[in-house]
Amino acid sequence: MRVSGRRLGVYAVALAFAIVMNFILPRLMPGTPVDAMVAQLGPRATPAAVEAIKARFGAVDQPVLLQFVDYMKGLATFDLGVSVKYYPQTVVQVLSRSTIWTIFLVVTAIIFSLSVGVVLGAISAWRRGGRFDTIISPLAVVMISVPPVIVGLTTLFMFGVSLRWLPVGYAYDPNLDPGLNFTFAGSVFIHAIMPVLTLSPFLIGEFQTTMRSSMISVLGEDYVTMGRAKGLSHLSVMFGYGARNAMLPVLTNLALMLGAVFGGSIVTEIVFNYPGLGLTLYTASIARDYPVIQGQLLLMTLATLGANFLVDIIYGFIDPRLRDAV
Amino acid sequence: MGLDKSVIRSVSARAAWAAATALTVVMTFGISAASAAESVLTMHIEEQSSWVQNFNPFDLAGRRQSTMDFIYEPLVIFNAQDGGKPVWRLATSYKFSDDMMSITYELRPGAKWSDGQPLTSADVKYTIDLMLKNAALDTVGVGETVASVEAPSPTEVTIKLKAVNSDFPESLADLAVVPQHVWKDVSDPVAFKNEKPIGSGPMTEVRRFTPQVYEQCRNPDYWDAASLHVDCLRLPQISGNDQMLAILPEGNMDWIGSFIPEIDKTFVALDADHNGYWQPPAETVAFQMNFKSKDEGNLEAYKDLNFRHAFSLAMDRKSMVDIAGFGYPVVNEHASGLPPRFEGWRNKAAEGDKDAFMGFDTEKASKILDDAGYKKGSDGFRTTPSGKPINFPIIVPNGWTDWIDAVQIAVEGLRAAGINASVTTPEYEQWRKQILDGSFEVVMNSRADGATPFRGYYQSLSTAYAGRVTGAPSRYSNPKLDALFDQYLKATSDDDHKKIFNDIQLLVAEDFPVVPVFNGPTWYQFSSKRFTGWVTDKDPVMNPEDHDNNRMRLMHLLRLKPVQ
Repeated sequence: MRVSGRRLGVYAVALAFAIVMNFILPRLMPGTPVDAMVAQLGPRATPAAVEAIKARFGAVDQPVLLQFVDYMKGLATFDLGVSVKYYPQTVVQVLSRSTIWTIFLVVTAIIFSLSVGVVLGAISAWRRGGRFDTIISPLAVVMISVPPVIVGLTTLFMFGVSLRWLPVGYAYDPNLDPGLNFTFAGSVFIHAIMPVLTLSPFLIGEFQTTMRSSMISVLGEDYVTMGRAKGLSHLSVMFGYGARNAMLPVLTNLALMLGAVFGGSIVTEIVFNYPGLGLTLYTASIARDYPVIQGQLLLMTLATLGANFLVDIIYGFIDPRLRDAV
Repeated sequence: MGLDKSVIRSVSARAAWAAATALTVVMTFGISAASAAESVLTMHIEEQSSWVQNFNPFDLAGRRQSTMDFIYEPLVIFNAQDGGKPVWRLATSYKFSDDMMSITYELRPGAKWSDGQPLTSADVKYTIDLMLKNAALDTVGVGETVASVEAPSPTEVTIKLKAVNSDFPESLADLAVVPQHVWKDVSDPVAFKNEKPIGSGPMTEVRRFTPQVYEQCRNPDYWDAASLHVDCLRLPQISGNDQMLAILPEGNMDWIGSFIPEIDKTFVALDADHNGYWQPPAETVAFQMNFKSKDEGNLEAYKDLNFRHAFSLAMDRKSMVDIAGFGYPVVNEHASGLPPRFEGWRNKAAEGDKDAFMGFDTEKASKILDDAGYKKGSDGFRTTPSGKPINFPIIVPNGWTDWIDAVQIAVEGLRAAGINASVTTPEYEQWRKQILDGSFEVVMNSRADGATPFRGYYQSLSTAYAGRVTGAPSRYSNPKLDALFDQYLKATSDDDHKKIFNDIQLLVAEDFPVVPVFNGPTWYQFSSKRFTGWVTDKDPVMNPEDHDNNRMRLMHLLRLKPVQ
């Protein structure tokens, strides 16, 4: 299995475009990171102190071309600069401590929703028109259209604030030290329940809908009829013959939806004070922390491109017809 | 909020099994509280989405707000609630020289750093010299006021001043004295994170630090250990008001400094026996016009006392407080703008008929403008007596919703009086920049007070500060007022200070350079479940706010005792 040169070329161009845009965008916005930094000092900073700090950090008066060279050099060495908001932490430090939580959240939500959505979709298609289908399919449409912020706030209010079953913030109990032990893992699990449930309805709805329609067309294929004729059990025909082949459009959909999942995770993390990239991006935007915003946009571009690339490869595994042609 | 209690109850009845499971799980994965012998005080003093271990007292933007006072003790604190009287800490007294050109502090003998080394005058001298040499570290403005520092004996520090300044001790109250034996080896004090601080305050030991919570515990060598009954401060990360509201029902917070909407319902009702608050009025918020505006029409209007009076009469202060401010601020009805916390400094002569323009009366405002020659054009808006258009935006930072609403109310009043005003909400940095570079027209702003009302007036209305700091955007300049400020700085006795400040109040009320509207609240809430000794409205002896701008919070901490 290999990926064609043309396909790789597309990825390269997309990446180059993202890198250049990432350089240009913050420079089109009013103000500089140094302004933001100085503004954070508040009224207690004396004018002399402000001038000294500007002089210290304000190396922004060089020609744009030189700035671009510096920026590229930084990228090559994974040096994305220093955060304004979390100074003196570097952008790489800030992003690496947040990334792990967002990945955990998004991956857990996707795995959970994929399992639930695909099964629901397969059963709906298998029994289309039945009672299960008439309840689940319209429900899926509703689930797609409810924005995560509504789901998040409702969940938070019900299970967090009113019933107090689940913790309302953080990624794990702040009294614990991170480590590979049962207590810590349990705390992480409990703290992830509400955020994952918030991200899931949209995904489950999408997966159910895509799976259902894809499965319906697969079920009309000759090999499914043959499977039935061979006297195989419902379950093996449904999943072995039908669902496996109906998965392809679901995976395509997943790749397309990654952006939306990250978008949803931003809202979710803000609602649940979950220390991932979303909360970091939100805080950075409010503080005008351009270096962090820039680093994060780049990271998200890379993640989306990477995920698409990965789906291309997975395609090859699942669909034998594409094994040599991708 | 849609769910009433019966709904919640029926939901929980049906889901009893789930509740039980969740509870069991929570208890199994157990959150072990700190050992019972220790008294741990949980507090909320700043909002951040993640803690960064930075206890560098010179880093105003990045330091944790528990750095000052709790790690670095001030020389002396002035209690605004007690007429600005000194509370001696690392110093036991100070004395100006006869010509007022130098001041000598007597340091407390036997004070130690948290590593056991003695704290001497050499440390104070070292700290001030460090700031003089490196302007980026100058958080208290010694570069402008101090000529040189000497340490004649281990307990004596003599500071030579550049000019006579009786306000100097108050400005030095923000000084964090750092240990010379540690800081002399720091190569870059601006970027230094000071992760394991050696300090002189009550809580110097950073026992635990994670992005979500940190604990700052008892200084083993604290000189005033006998007064200290709290063993550790526990500071959970809280990202904002919403997060705070969600956390409050857990009942784990002891000392809070937060904006809590509908506080009686959302906080006090949760535990009426223990939860309390006291939010006395703080700094004066006022509208300031740019007396160096480049717009000829606007400038002509701002410089006219009649216009400023009419502006003030168009302010619906009560709505600003009740609607925009959730009833937390207090209307300021005095042309002098004196904050209520300085009641003892009030000059009756600066009130009464001087406050005639502090009500809300757009008809009277219109009449003043008519009489002064501000004619209405075909669009319903007035021009200046010389016929130039008046048209200005009032700037307020984006996202400061209560302030934006207040400015919106101001604009409605102004437009009713025929003045073409509008609201603009730039980002905070842009707002700040416009104030400092003078490109704004009108702004609503608060000014920082000190232990006495002097500092607030001096740093917002003197020519020396005009346009230099965010507290003085109006660029007002009045030689008579400057002369009074100068007299005040040279005066040494409390009586003289009071007398001169009476004249300052009177002059400000008469010339009306800014339009006071209200006094913002102090943010202070507490729970007496685990600790007692909280300051309340019945015992208003000090400012109880736990934020970094209030040095008295140190004395408040020392009042607290664990419940037996």
